[in-house]
Amino acid sequence: MRVRDVQHPMLPQATEEELSRQRAVVSLRKLLNARVRSQNVRRFHEEGAAAFAERNSRQPQSPDDIQAALFESMGYRMWSAANRSAQEMIWMSVGEPIFRDRDRMQAAARALAEAPDRKGSLHLDPDYDPSPEIAGTDVHLQPGGYGRDDGPDDIVAGAFYETGGNVFSFGQGAGKGDSKAGVIFRLLDEEFPDFVPGRILDLGCSAGAASCAYADRYPEAEVHALDIGAGMLRYAHARAEALGVAVHFHQMDAADLRFPEASFDLIVSHNMLHEIGAEKRRRAMAEALRVVRPGGLVIFQDVDTRFAPTEVHRVEKNWDTAFNGEIFWQVYNEADLVADMRAAGFAETGLREHNVSAVSNINRWYVISGRKPVDGTPTA
Amino acid sequence: MTSRIDAIAAVIQSGRGTRAYSLDNREAEQVLSIALALLVELAASNDRIDRLEREIATLKGQSLDALREAPLDADAQKERQEALEAMQLRVLRILMDPRDGG
Repeated sequence: MRVRDVQHPMLPQATEEELSRQRAVVSLRKLLNARVRSQNVRRFHEEGAAAFAERNSRQPQSPDDIQAALFESMGYRMWSAANRSAQEMIWMSVGEPIFRDRDRMQAAARALAEAPDRKGSLHLDPDYDPSPEIAGTDVHLQPGGYGRDDGPDDIVAGAFYETGGNVFSFGQGAGKGDSKAGVIFRLLDEEFPDFVPGRILDLGCSAGAASCAYADRYPEAEVHALDIGAGMLRYAHARAEALGVAVHFHQMDAADLRFPEASFDLIVSHNMLHEIGAEKRRRAMAEALRVVRPGGLVIFQDVDTRFAPTEVHRVEKNWDTAFNGEIFWQVYNEADLVADMRAAGFAETGLREHNVSAVSNINRWYVISGRKPVDGTPTA
Repeated sequence: MTSRIDAIAAVIQSGRGTRAYSLDNREAEQVLSIALALLVELAASNDRIDRLEREIATLKGQSLDALREAPLDADAQKERQEALEAMQLRVLRILMDPRDGG
């Protein structure tokens, strides 16, 4: 099942003019990435480091020094300003058709969610206050953020995430055939060929694209998915129903799972680790280990910025922290995730980090996986 | 169905937090942002023009010069005015951004 550029009734019916704007933003971001951002490390070495040394009478050494040195370069500052503006225009280009077509989209979602032949389910928790450390920020500048909920039928957060995510990803070079879930399917085929999960849990599912891909890939499995925002989850549920797959969506915190111990065979997350702080990440890992069955797998997939070849590359990748609402981006980049998994109780045996290629482009992804011992005994 | 203008205004007003600036001069960065938004608008307009030129050339066989010189009637002028105001909101969005005191 494709996860990007999928057609369903909750997508805004964008006009050709609106689609032209989205294509223009994709093209602008491609240009900025390929021809402008790609020069940032050179700018550091040729301009920034020397200017920093002259201003401070020492060479840039710490991450903060490197960041300051990058900003000594006019080319870097101009790229940063243009990239911020392009990121804002992603949301302008998809937001106009969403708000223009909102009533129809909400009605379509409601009809699918209430259809007698619906396959999945939606479980919202009115007592749950979406995690402030995530909901309080417009992550990647998405207006209203992941926790946005404008009312009983609201689906705006999900519509923003899917449509803006497409514009963002295509601007990063991802193709329509790209699939983060597909990366995990390939990993399972290569390293766990006999593993067939009966119950799957997708942590931080956002608009549910990967959740649907798991339900499609494993039609006999019971697939559950969770995220923090009601608007996101209403959209995800209706989207899954439109695509004809059964997914059970829950408004829940990954760090506080309301599932019994040993109740899932496969627990996954896609791009969740870089959206949460260190403490929540550690609790989410421990919770995943608690609810996965002995012999089951826990797999966290995320962005590849941890593989930066030098400290300058790593700091350059931290741009999103200050300028793109990705407040935990640097925390994620610099975390010892193996140590966190070990502290959560995962045994060293079966704990692995992977640097994997994307399904359909030159991008790469970070994956860390752990398997619960068959005897169920966590090993500290 | 919400109007384009209301839709654009709703997106602008949805932004939260404080805007981070990269240039020493905020005014200069806002002008850069406006220029980039105009780049997107120009791309969209070019697409429309290209589409029209191809359609009309195929369907009517008129010269492009004759089509371009045809005056707009009152309804068309009203439609273009709404489109102009919507475009201005998109391009000048940063001046109204609540994250920047707009």
